[in-house]
Amino acid sequence: MSTNTALPDVLDDSDVSRRDRLREQHGAKAPLLALAGGVLLLVSGLLSWSYDDRILGDISIRFYPAGIQIYAMVLGLVAVVLGVLLRRRPGWLNPGRGLAAVGWGSLVFVVVALVTIARQAGGSININEGGWVALVGALLVFAAGFVAQRFELNVRTWPRLPGWAEILVIVVLMAVLLFTTAYTLGLDDSWTFVCLLVTLLSVAIALVGSGFGEYVGFVGGNNRRVLLLAAFLVAFLFPFTQDGSDANMSIATQILIFAATALGLNIVVGLAGLLDLGYIAFLGTGAYVGAMLSQSTFATIGWKPPFLVVMLCGMAVASTFGLIIGSPTLRVSGDYLAIVTLGFGEIFRLAMFNLDGTNGPDLTNGPNGIPAIPDLNFFGWDFGKVHTVAGIPLGRFSNYYFLLLLLIAFVILVFSRLNDSRIGRGWVAIREDERAAEAMGVNVFGLKLLAFAIGAALAGLAGTIKAHQDTSVTPDQYIFLESAFLLAAVVLGGMGTVAGVLVGATILKLLPEKLRDAADYRLLLFGLLLVIMMRFRPEGLVASKRRQLEFHEDDEELVQLAQTEHLEEAK
Amino acid sequence: MELAQQLVNGLTLGSLYALIAVGYTVVYGIIQLINFAHGEIFMVGAFGALSTALLFFRSYVDEGQVLPFWALPVLILGAVAASVAIAVLMERIAYRPLRNAPRLAPLITAIGISVFLQEAVRLLYGKIPGFPDAKQKVPFPKIAVVSGDAWTPFGLTIQRSTIFTVGALVICAAGLFYFVSRTKTGRAMQAVSQDPDTARLMGINVDRIIVVAFVIGATLAAIAGIAQGLQVTNVNFKMGFLAGLKAFTAAVLGGIGNVWGAVLGGLTLGIVEALAIGFIPGTFGGSSWKDVWAFAILILVLVFRPQGLLGAKVVDRA
Amino acid sequence: MTVTDPAPAAHEIGDRVVLEAANVTMRFGGLTAVGDVSMRVHDGEIVGLIGPNGAGKTTFFNCLTGMYIPTEGRVTLAGEQLPPKPLKVVRAGMARTFQNIRLFGNMTALENVMVGRYCRTSSMALTSVLRGPKFRREESATRERAQELLDYVGLGKSTELLARNLPYGDQRRLEIARALATDPQILLLDEPTAGMNPKETEETMHLIFKIRDSGLAVVVIEHDMRFIFNLCDRVLCLVRGSVLVEGTPGEVQSDPRVIEAYIGGDDADEEEDA
Repeated sequence: MSTNTALPDVLDDSDVSRRDRLREQHGAKAPLLALAGGVLLLVSGLLSWSYDDRILGDISIRFYPAGIQIYAMVLGLVAVVLGVLLRRRPGWLNPGRGLAAVGWGSLVFVVVALVTIARQAGGSININEGGWVALVGALLVFAAGFVAQRFELNVRTWPRLPGWAEILVIVVLMAVLLFTTAYTLGLDDSWTFVCLLVTLLSVAIALVGSGFGEYVGFVGGNNRRVLLLAAFLVAFLFPFTQDGSDANMSIATQILIFAATALGLNIVVGLAGLLDLGYIAFLGTGAYVGAMLSQSTFATIGWKPPFLVVMLCGMAVASTFGLIIGSPTLRVSGDYLAIVTLGFGEIFRLAMFNLDGTNGPDLTNGPNGIPAIPDLNFFGWDFGKVHTVAGIPLGRFSNYYFLLLLLIAFVILVFSRLNDSRIGRGWVAIREDERAAEAMGVNVFGLKLLAFAIGAALAGLAGTIKAHQDTSVTPDQYIFLESAFLLAAVVLGGMGTVAGVLVGATILKLLPEKLRDAADYRLLLFGLLLVIMMRFRPEGLVASKRRQLEFHEDDEELVQLAQTEHLEEAK
Repeated sequence: MELAQQLVNGLTLGSLYALIAVGYTVVYGIIQLINFAHGEIFMVGAFGALSTALLFFRSYVDEGQVLPFWALPVLILGAVAASVAIAVLMERIAYRPLRNAPRLAPLITAIGISVFLQEAVRLLYGKIPGFPDAKQKVPFPKIAVVSGDAWTPFGLTIQRSTIFTVGALVICAAGLFYFVSRTKTGRAMQAVSQDPDTARLMGINVDRIIVVAFVIGATLAAIAGIAQGLQVTNVNFKMGFLAGLKAFTAAVLGGIGNVWGAVLGGLTLGIVEALAIGFIPGTFGGSSWKDVWAFAILILVLVFRPQGLLGAKVVDRA
Repeated sequence: MTVTDPAPAAHEIGDRVVLEAANVTMRFGGLTAVGDVSMRVHDGEIVGLIGPNGAGKTTFFNCLTGMYIPTEGRVTLAGEQLPPKPLKVVRAGMARTFQNIRLFGNMTALENVMVGRYCRTSSMALTSVLRGPKFRREESATRERAQELLDYVGLGKSTELLARNLPYGDQRRLEIARALATDPQILLLDEPTAGMNPKETEETMHLIFKIRDSGLAVVVIEHDMRFIFNLCDRVLCLVRGSVLVEGTPGEVQSDPRVIEAYIGGDDADEEEDA
């Protein structure tokens, strides 16, 4: 299934007929407006934005674009390209939608930038000509996006490139992805980060909205293996862009563990439709098993097997817990299950907290947890040490990063292969209509239990690695909020998809790290984000067509699009 | 004597659970939504009462004096106003647009609201001029008659707040019974919970009934908030989570959707917890494991009697 | 036995009793929804179940397919007594459709039918992840068989459409295809033509004949009398949970008690269909 096209049109809520009339009358002016606005944005990148050279990086110098000046130029470039395309009207693109996104994006971007300059430098007097030019440019692009006419996407006329060129497209895209990621992570300033985020988001939405996303999906579909390989290569190369710094690698490892766990949860929630609110307990089980069987002097069990055995133990114990929890509760219907699993999650935390020797046997050292877990050592490769590969030093977190990359590859493999199999179909059938599935001979109870066990095993596996990476395990790492975060990653990204969960996990872990200014408001924003997402885009950022239809049944256009596409695929 | 004491403790705890549980059950009975944020409504109620005390009885609070008894109804009004306002807003803004969405959507929204409300109180309460910072526990004012020395009839220890909590439950239950079975709106509520579509065809304003359900739940939760404040003499932004979870357990225990089930479930759960603290021997007894026993009860009930103590069995139509 | 065999010109009812329900009774509390109903279905036979609303037809189906555990009586399929579990009933060779269509709405038509193959395939989690030759063989066989069945019911061109987006009549046919995918010996159809126009009803009748001609036994619940009397070899008329009349379409059609049950039985109409 390809990436989605039908992003919510930002103007959807306004009066439809009035909007149509406006487009009818002024649509012809849109390309010109876009060109003018885009050129202004491009020019603004060469001008000075601020008198003060300490704000948002250094943006006071002319003809030497840096930081947000470059973002303005990127936005300008995209606007110009879309403007030209809008004039030439290729059947396979819908530049109007893209322009709307770029318009909104540039406007928000410029306003954020100008407000930041004014606030930090003490008044709008400190904004230089570049800022004002950019504002005019952004307004023009916004206007263009507002009046630009939307075309029907004609899916059949995608231009086919020769095989090598398609592969080149993928390689270039991946290279851009790698560069952008490294660059984004390198930013320290919160507001520059916000500006970049707005830019990237609006460009991404513009590309997807105007049909490039579909095209990329089409090209990717033609070269599936190349795409996968390239994606993993990019992920593999990432530590080499960090020049030995462990700061970003630490975030990256956290994202990977989080994403791997969320993918496990995605089997339970996204495929089988079982809402598990205590899933973090399985990660915790794995982590505790990892810690108790580690070389740590605080480990309460004398047995210290090699790590490979520990991983298997972590999986086995977690999935056993999954079965123990699952067998009584999976007969209970949906909403109850959510609360029962929540209760189990709390029981796990309380048990780990209490098993300290005074309230029951000493297994976990109670609230103090198990500290001083040594680093892993694979065949002499000490994870705690810095290794130099090809002249680039790779620190402790880079070592774990590579291991976690293998883990996530494994989890993705398990997820996608199960999804596309008899088992996966059984799960989706149960999610759709449990009674009907049973009446068609699907072993409902067994499959639910299987989903629980597999999900738990994957989380347990991730947990054993997490114990070593964190060097300590304590009960307060496994509170309900963490389960909510995992669920949010699944829902935010797009239930039942791999890419969506990766995106969701990245956003949820990366944003708090980079928005230090708003650190205290992180949870507040998280709560708000959940509510807003459910209200406006419940299917998640990267939705499968199936999910979109489920949530937007009344959207005729979408239904038709999906139908034609299915027919296309069938041919 | 020990047993009687634990029963009293259990009854107190249980009344609190019951008051909150009614909110879950009323809303669930009507729109089959687990209003996960209900625990936060309870918390908001407690803070509403605290705010009222700070606004109208400032001098007492500052000097650490006991508020006069007539302050109690004022505090109740304040608490109820706060809870009801938040609950109604929540229904209108977050839940109503999701009425026909798949079931996962409102549940996740509820989690979002829950986190949002907790954080909003934690971060913003102290920013209101004259209000204390709510990042830590905030002392709850004492009120004459319902705070103070415990009574010790027959060697039992009965806290005065217990009288308030149990009394509140009795009055609220009686009021609810009257409302549901004797008033027009109450009967409309019953109709909507049976079949919303038919009820709508019969001219019942379903949206309004749903709001009423939220209001009832919020009112009782607000009173529970005060009861909790009086019992533990402080409030904090996290108090809603565990209380909400326990109350939900109570609602399920009694049979979700059934108001009397919620009351019965709450009392049962409270007593079980108290007895577990007092009578489970060895290292697994005592207060550190009581929550584990409470959840264990929930699971046992769901396995052996999924419809709860008073719930009706649901037959799936083919 | 494949259902794609060319249909024989004239059909014969086999001697073997496929399904036998003996004295099935189902009570909900004080209400007797089905009381002492017995039925025999032979190979290649089409049996109709008629009766006014609330007569207990669907409840009887639910008893047969293991969705309800009958209070009394027993159900045997090809001589073996059926355990009251839907899963085992399907494995034994009985498949059904639903009165209110219960497709997997967000799955494609093909996937819906593939789910029907679930109980006749065996690859489990580990094989699915490893993707050995056995898995691939089974997967492609499942896909092929599902496509074959879609062609068979006339949905060959809707393979990739989501079930929820199919027209009403096609959804009913998809349910039949999904049921056939479980390789049943007997097919239970609960109001297969409800909501259909005359042309679709006609098509459905031919489809059922085709299924019958491939050797399956069919039991049909229907309110459309013309449809039932044209289709069935034998008809049972249920009223208030028990068999009022049983016989050939001609016999049942002319029985005055049936006419009375439908026209005079005002009170029966008021009962809810459980």
